[in-house]
Formats: sequence, C-alpha cells, structure tokens
Amino acid sequence: MRAQIAATVASLAVSAALSAGGFRLPASSVRLAAPGVRLPASGVRLPASDPRAAGAIRGRVDVRVGPSADLRPDPASLGMGNPRDAQDRRRSVVYLETAPRGAFEAPSDRHARMDQRNERFIPHVLAITAGTWVDFPNGDRTYHNVFSLSKTKEFNLGRYAAGHSESVKFDQAGIVRVFCEIHSHMNAYILVFAHRFFAMTDDDGRYRIDGLPPGTYTLLVWNEAIHGDPPRRTVTMGEAGDVDADFTIR
Amino acid sequence: MQVLPAGPIETARGTVTVSGEVTATAGAKDDTAFFNYTDYEHNALRMFRLSLSAMWRPSPRFAALTEIRSEDLQRVIPYALYVRVRPWANRPFDIQAGRIPPVFGTFARRSYGADNPLIGFPLAYQYLTSMRPDAVPANADDLLLMRGRGWRASYPVGTPEPAPGVPVVSAYRWDTGVEARYAAERFEAAVSVTSGTLSNPRLDDDNDGRQIAGRVAWHPAVGLTLGASGARGAFVTRAIVNAYEEALGPHSYDQEAIGIDGEYSRGYWIVRGEAIVSRWTVPKINMPFIDRPLGARTGYVEGRYRFGPRVFAAARIDALSFTRLSGQRLFGGQPTEWDAPVSRIELGGGINIQRNLTARTVVQHNWRDGGRVQQRTYVSAQLSYWF
Repeated sequence: MRAQIAATVASLAVSAALSAGGFRLPASSVRLAAPGVRLPASGVRLPASDPRAAGAIRGRVDVRVGPSADLRPDPASLGMGNPRDAQDRRRSVVYLETAPRGAFEAPSDRHARMDQRNERFIPHVLAITAGTWVDFPNGDRTYHNVFSLSKTKEFNLGRYAAGHSESVKFDQAGIVRVFCEIHSHMNAYILVFAHRFFAMTDDDGRYRIDGLPPGTYTLLVWNEAIHGDPPRRTVTMGEAGDVDADFTIR
Repeated sequence: MQVLPAGPIETARGTVTVSGEVTATAGAKDDTAFFNYTDYEHNALRMFRLSLSAMWRPSPRFAALTEIRSEDLQRVIPYALYVRVRPWANRPFDIQAGRIPPVFGTFARRSYGADNPLIGFPLAYQYLTSMRPDAVPANADDLLLMRGRGWRASYPVGTPEPAPGVPVVSAYRWDTGVEARYAAERFEAAVSVTSGTLSNPRLDDDNDGRQIAGRVAWHPAVGLTLGASGARGAFVTRAIVNAYEEALGPHSYDQEAIGIDGEYSRGYWIVRGEAIVSRWTVPKINMPFIDRPLGARTGYVEGRYRFGPRVFAAARIDALSFTRLSGQRLFGGQPTEWDAPVSRIELGGGINIQRNLTARTVVQHNWRDGGRVQQRTYVSAQLSYWF
C-alpha cells in the first residue's frame, strides 16, 4: 500500500509551470514531491496524534520584492476603477522536497477557503494538501468568474453573485493559477502538495514545519517572484531540537 | 523564464503599467462585397492588429493613458491619449480629457483580452454606410445611386474623390474632447463634449461644431446592466456648410442618435444587445430634395456560452436599415431606403489555449438589399494574445 502511495506521489510530482497564465516552464521543474520518493530505510512512522513530538524546521524567508498592482491599463474605461491595495507578494511557501513515510496518509474531505473581496482573491496564496476542497465564496457585490486553465486542475465556476460559493476539489499535486474571467487583475495561487510538510510564511516571513522525524531534508521555497529554480537548502535534523533555515528572495 | 509576459509590465515603482494585444485574423479576400470593411479600409475578418496600452498613475487620483494601434502594419494610430482625474478622493466622479473613449453605447469600449466573443463587429459599429461628412449628395438621386456602396461613396458636393462612408458609430476611432462620469454602485452616468461625431470621431475639428453625448446605466441586479445613450453633434464639414450658408441660411447639419443597451450574465451565459437609431441632416440643395433627416436603425443581440474552462460558442444576429426617400430617376420615383439594408448572422466558437491566448473561428453570412453583391458567406479564424 505504501509503495503504491509513493508511486502515486511520484507520478503526481509536477512542475511549477504556470501554463495557464502564459508562463513557460522554468529551466528545471519545481517538484512539490520528488519522483522516486525516498522512504527512510528504518520505516520511521510519524506520530499521528502529536506531530510536535518530533522536530521542526523553522526560519524566515526574506522577500525583497515590492507589491504589485496587477492592473492593466484601462484606456477603454470611462473613469477610475475602485481603489485597491497593491498585491502583497511577500507570502512564500516552504516545503520539503522529499517527505518522510506517513506524510501521505492525510484524511480526505478537508476544506480550505479563498474569498473574493474587493476584487481580490484572499488569500493570494493558498497551500493545501491534495484531496482538499477549496471554497470560493463571492464577498463582492459584483459578479466574479473563478477559473483556472492550469494543468494541475482546470475548472470554471461560472458567474455567481455575492453570498454564493462554489467549491473545487484539488486532488493532484501542483500549482494552480486562479483567475477571474471578468476582472483581469484578480489572480491567486493554490499550491497543492502531496504531503503535509509545508508551511506558509506569516507577515514577518516566518515559517515552521512541525512533526519531522530525525533525518536529512531538502527544503525548497516557492514565491511568485521566483522565476527560475527555487532556492533550496539541505538540513539535517537530529534527535533533539529544531533546525533553523533562512532564505532571501530578491 | 518566461517567453512572453502573462500580465501587465510594471515599471517606475508600479506607477507605469504597459499591456498589449496582438490579433491575427485570417479569412478570404473580399474586394467586391465589402461587408466587413472598416473606416480605415481594413477587413475586420482579415486583419493583423497590434495594440499597446500604457498608463502612468503617479497618484490614485491622476492618470495619463494611451493606446496605440496598428492595423495590417500600415500605420500607427493613437487610439487613445488622455488624462484622467478624480477631483474628490471620496466621490466616484472622474474627468477625462484628450482622445477619450466614447460614452455612447457599449461595444466600442470593450477590452480585456478581445472581449468580442466573435470576430466580426456589429453592423452599427463597423458597416460603412454611404454617408460622408466631407461630401454630400446634391439631391435624392445622388444619394440613392450610392446604395450599397458605402465602401466607396462619391457625391457632387464637397470632396470629389470617392472615399469610404461612415458607420453609424465608429469603433475604430475615438473622439477628442472632455468626458465626466459619476459611477455609484447601481447607477452611473457619463457625458462628453467632443470635436467629432459618433460616426466621424476626430482628432481635430472640421466644422467648429461640438458633439454632446451621454449615457446612463442602471444595474438593478448583479449581472444585469441596462443603459441608454444619446448624442448630437455637427457632422458635415465646414467647407460644405460655408458653401451653402448664403443660399440655404445658417443651418446645423448634425448627426443625432439615441441608443439602448443591455447585458445579462449568469453561470456560463452572457447575453448582450444594443439598439441604435441615428439620423443625419444634410443640406437641401437640389430637386428632388432630401428634405428630411436620413435615418438609420440598427441593433444586434449576441450571446456566448462556455462549455468548460476552455471552450466556448457564440452567436450574433444583426440588422441595419434606413429610412426611405424618393428620387426621380431611380427606383421609379418610389420611396426607397436611402442605403441598402443589411442583415448579418455570425456563429462561432473558440478555445482558450491559455488564459491570454485564444483561438476562434466564425462563419458569417450577410444579406444586403442592394449593391453589386447581395449575399456573401465568410469564414474567418483568429488567434489573439494579450498581456
């Protein structure tokens, strides 16, 4: 069974090519779960009830990239659009290239949420595990039309009004670019992982990945401002204590 | 690494944004029927168009915008070039001055990645009538002789060379002037004063006249917009007005138009429609007189349905008709529409290869009650990319 899961994960390893958004494949693919996942020889199982019983990797991702308005010039408009905050691009996702055994036995039917408010997707970056449903409630008083043409998940929710919500299940690992067909400036990222060893950075860029057994891990960072290979760092975790790993993205 | 940009390019700390659109449309040549010719004498179903838009927005209440276009790589046209000001920070009131988008109707302002669900344009915004601002018929027979020849009309008064007539509303040129808009949640109103007219937008003034145009729109429910537009402006050039001022007295030869429009969308559907009534007044020079304004009525309904994330189908039904007048030599003196009425149906579909890369194809059939060619079917395919 585990071998089957590992094989499935390997097959789900996907590139971070944002094909739906007109992006070309990066020079080398960003893998959310590397093919040929290496399982520890000893077959260490993760403690299911208390992930903090094991160690953690923590640190900070310093993103030195300014916010983006994502606004196209609109010479056909008869006036200014509604004021909107610039898109904060500092949120990053730190994840393990190779996950330990047990990482893939996550429960199904989890739900996450991506709102549509003030012509923005909130959050702008969402990281989930495969099998998670994402709800897309419309909190604006105008229509939105959420869609994606990403290879990982193609969908089109159509136009629906405020107070309504539609949901999509993301059952394949990869990166999904989300757009609104009506408002070209609305865009978001959903990172779907085959395992649960990832963490979003907070307002200060800090992250923490818990529940790791001793071992050597390769950490990678995803940020929308990274257009080449993702920064990576290999860390070794012993029996005791946490490990620090910081990154800088310019 | 990216081959092509997927979104607007930002520079100067985000105060300058640049976007563009490339549209390549392939279709058969049409040098006999001219159903799809534009006022720049390009075929809308066989055209290569480049467009570049830029906005400099140093503050939330001020912006300078431009859009330049080139059709068939022949010349570069400043389609838009204006400043936009929001005088009060907390009021949704804006003023735009320069070469501005038209406030009348809806089609000419469509944007965001080839928002046209088909390839052809509505007749109201593209089809060339036999009306010209710089040359006018001396009598009703002169006008009737040009029925169905809007692509190359000629008249004895004014500029003698044959030239294309004008559409009811030009979607290929924008006018120059000042526009103000108030936009609340459910209601918006815009008014403009410009140097040209709906059918003949101008960069410079050719008759010392001004056009006043306005539009109100109501959004009674999410997804539903109802609008009404009106415009009136001096149409005929000053040279012709001056030539007949002594004989006919001071007179204003205007284009007047009113229009209604609507849009409803829900789920995977979007339906739009417009109806426009326009009339032009021309000098009453010789017998048989053109003693009433020359009217045109036009309207279209179009719809688009998305079958999935990538595939869509669309259709448009379109008609353009004209008021009647009587000549002496032509049509037995019987009342006849002053230009040949046209009907059009266009069916098509497309696929979004990427979010900003769309391939589509259409079949368009036209009927015209006059001219050398009275029916023609066209097939056209288009690839459009925007960022």
